[in-house]
Amino acid sequence: MTDRFLKRYSYNITANDFMSAGKGSSSIKSNLKSLGIDANIIRRIAIISYEIEINIVIHSFGGKLHCDIYENKIVIVSEDIGPGIKDIDMAMTEGFSTATDSVRELGFGAGMGLPNIKKYSEGLEINTGSTGTLIIATINL
Amino acid sequence: MNFSIMFDKDKCRGCTNCMRRCPTQAIRLINNKAFINISKCIHCGECIKICPYNAYTPESIEWYEQMHDSPKKYKIAIPTTTLYGQFPRGTDICKVQNSILKLGFDFVYDTSWAADLAAKALKLKIENEKKIRPYITTTCPAAIRLIKYRYPSLMDNLIFIKEPMEIAGMLARERARKKYNLKDEDIKVFYISPCPAKLLAVTDPIGDYKPSVDWVIPLNKIYGELYREVIREDNMTCSYPSLSGMKWAVAGGQSEHAGLNNYISVHGMENIIQILDEIENGKLSDIDFVEALACANGCVGGTFNVVNPFIASSSINYISNSLPDECINPDIDRFEELYESGFFNYKLKEEEKFNKLSLKEAVEKNEKIREICDKLPGLDCGSCGAPTCLAHAEDVYNNESEFDDCVVLRVKK
Repeated sequence: MTDRFLKRYSYNITANDFMSAGKGSSSIKSNLKSLGIDANIIRRIAIISYEIEINIVIHSFGGKLHCDIYENKIVIVSEDIGPGIKDIDMAMTEGFSTATDSVRELGFGAGMGLPNIKKYSEGLEINTGSTGTLIIATINL
Repeated sequence: MNFSIMFDKDKCRGCTNCMRRCPTQAIRLINNKAFINISKCIHCGECIKICPYNAYTPESIEWYEQMHDSPKKYKIAIPTTTLYGQFPRGTDICKVQNSILKLGFDFVYDTSWAADLAAKALKLKIENEKKIRPYITTTCPAAIRLIKYRYPSLMDNLIFIKEPMEIAGMLARERARKKYNLKDEDIKVFYISPCPAKLLAVTDPIGDYKPSVDWVIPLNKIYGELYREVIREDNMTCSYPSLSGMKWAVAGGQSEHAGLNNYISVHGMENIIQILDEIENGKLSDIDFVEALACANGCVGGTFNVVNPFIASSSINYISNSLPDECINPDIDRFEELYESGFFNYKLKEEEKFNKLSLKEAVEKNEKIREICDKLPGLDCGSCGAPTCLAHAEDVYNNESEFDDCVVLRVKK
């Protein structure tokens, strides 16, 4: 097994565009399916990439979602421009959310985003600052 | 492999209905006539049902000669459970069974007896083995093949309990061997079938067993002869079919018979595709058993049946709910012994196991197909002879058709 890089799928995510939120992750899902990847792994990746996509829509000024395929792992990468995560420990707590009421009225912002990403990935790296956030979630094959 | 769907080129007008309908995209149009790729065909009969010009007919070969020209052989008939739903309300079921004998068989082994055993085996396996959820039934040969081609990752979910037809064949053979001291080759087993896919289950089974049934008789091909006998027949005693086993003919019947309470009964090609999608997405793992049958209403919807599936399921339910159950199942006492010996279980053949491409190969293949597909107009018009632009791109990748077959691009040029 090598960790040779094979392919990157990328999607632009627009801030506050709740209409198309979820399109990136469902496209990732169908791409992985056509590669013959195990259904349970696809399901975990679908959850992770959906949460990441929604986070970019809610909290940032816009960003990108990538799905990198290696021979032995799949890496979901989120890069956004925005205010960053103020308190990572709090953000990792289930139920903690900084989403506004108007976002919650749409059914988002339950405070499960980052906890779910951590739960379903095997490695999670978060780099955040006042200009943006980079999240790298790894799922081993 | 015997092919059970006959195609009349002269009747085909190239309308693309079957091509769009085919769940495994096995049909292409070549020179404006439909062409079935046999290796992809799952014998579900969707093309037979949708063709407006009746170009497709289900067929089974050689059974007639085998039935009439081998007087020295001991001939066993296994009638499908749907057969009892094909006669007018009130027809005595013993008359039906005795009439089958009159057609020239030595012995009738009812599928419903085998269904009794299969139901018990299903229940035990589901209760004892909780690792895989949901289990998917292995009785519908078309559904199994759909899973094989379209949902290979779900092959592990199949329950691998032999279907009643196979159990009936094995037990009937054993009975004849012991009772008359016969050799296996002196026994011929005929299944009277509602379904063209059963022919495939007999000639080219999925699984590591040798099929016990030799020939498949399409129900509609002997129905006329049988009906005449039923009218003439006056013997109303027989070894009675199992009335609960008979319910396997109707969707939901096997789950009900096995006494399951956490199951999904889904029937009809479009519907089972939706449920299989759900399972593949990792959902439904809280369900014990999925009874997925390719035909609407279950086996009564098979293309060899004579009577409308709704009328037939009503007749079956009427018989099994209203008649007194006088069934003496010849093999029910042997269930424990058979179950312990692994009689009901089977495995996949080595080459049938889910063999995926390495990720590297899969990515490369996908890239090339996508490259081709991106150049196509994306209208999925079907004029090139493939059901979708993506299917055309795959054909071009596999050297099975020319990129320039795309009519839209040719017109633009």
